[in-house]
Amino acid sequence: MPDRDPQLLKGVLPMLVLLLLTEGESYGYELVTRLQADGLTDIAAGTVYPVLARLEREGHVSSRLVASSSGPARKYYRPTADGAAELATALRGWDHLSDTVRAVLDRAATPKEQ
Amino acid sequence: MTPTATSPTDRARREWFLLRFSWHMQDFPQKQYRQIKRDLRRELTTAGADMGMRHTVADLGRPRTLADGYIAELGRPVPRWTTGAVAASLAIIFIVYLGVAYAIGTVDTLEAMGGGTVTTYPFGAETIFTSTADEISVQTQLSAAGASFFLGVAAVAFILGSRLWRAFR
Repeated sequence: MPDRDPQLLKGVLPMLVLLLLTEGESYGYELVTRLQADGLTDIAAGTVYPVLARLEREGHVSSRLVASSSGPARKYYRPTADGAAELATALRGWDHLSDTVRAVLDRAATPKEQ
Repeated sequence: MTPTATSPTDRARREWFLLRFSWHMQDFPQKQYRQIKRDLRRELTTAGADMGMRHTVADLGRPRTLADGYIAELGRPVPRWTTGAVAASLAIIFIVYLGVAYAIGTVDTLEAMGGGTVTTYPFGAETIFTSTADEISVQTQLSAAGASFFLGVAAVAFILGSRLWRAFR
């Protein structure tokens, strides 16, 4: 896998977390494994947990405890209405940014006409 | 279904990680920190049962890096109360050290001069240095000016060390 600047992921991780939780609620470690399964193979739990904590603190995700067979109850997260709105805003921003970046990259890759 | 009990070794591994994590989170807002620690212990316990505690703890990385991640997600700098307290303590210890060194030097000088007594008034506190064949002593008392000096130095060291101004942002 090519090296990736950690700052690139840092900017979009909250959006990805909200997106995955919209697809289905998860507890912390499960969310990490879902991100890894989606291609972020080197992402660590220590990167995801602080983001989850912030999203919960800001009211973008809510949580509920579900009994577990492997110890204490698991804390499942899902987006709130505020979180859904935040996700929509983030997706619009991402679309705009990726379109811009793609246009610049395509232009740079195209040989200039003499 | 009966929850699986965490083995003593795994419990020790988990708590050792949380203890080190706590050290680096000392300056985090306490109410939020308690919630984070509860969540982290829960995640470590459940994920540790699934994946093994050694793997789960390793996946969290270094406690300091994890703590830095939580602090960064706060989105604002926090005062470093612990660092401030350590700075204030070191400042006081340094001043006491200077005082003791001065006293020992004075007594040694008196002894070199054949012995005797000298009285000085640092910060308005009468201080008597004695070095005779029968007695080597330093007697002093705490004056209001001396106490103010100690408090002032400790306060400045605490303010600078803790970055106190961050609390008012």
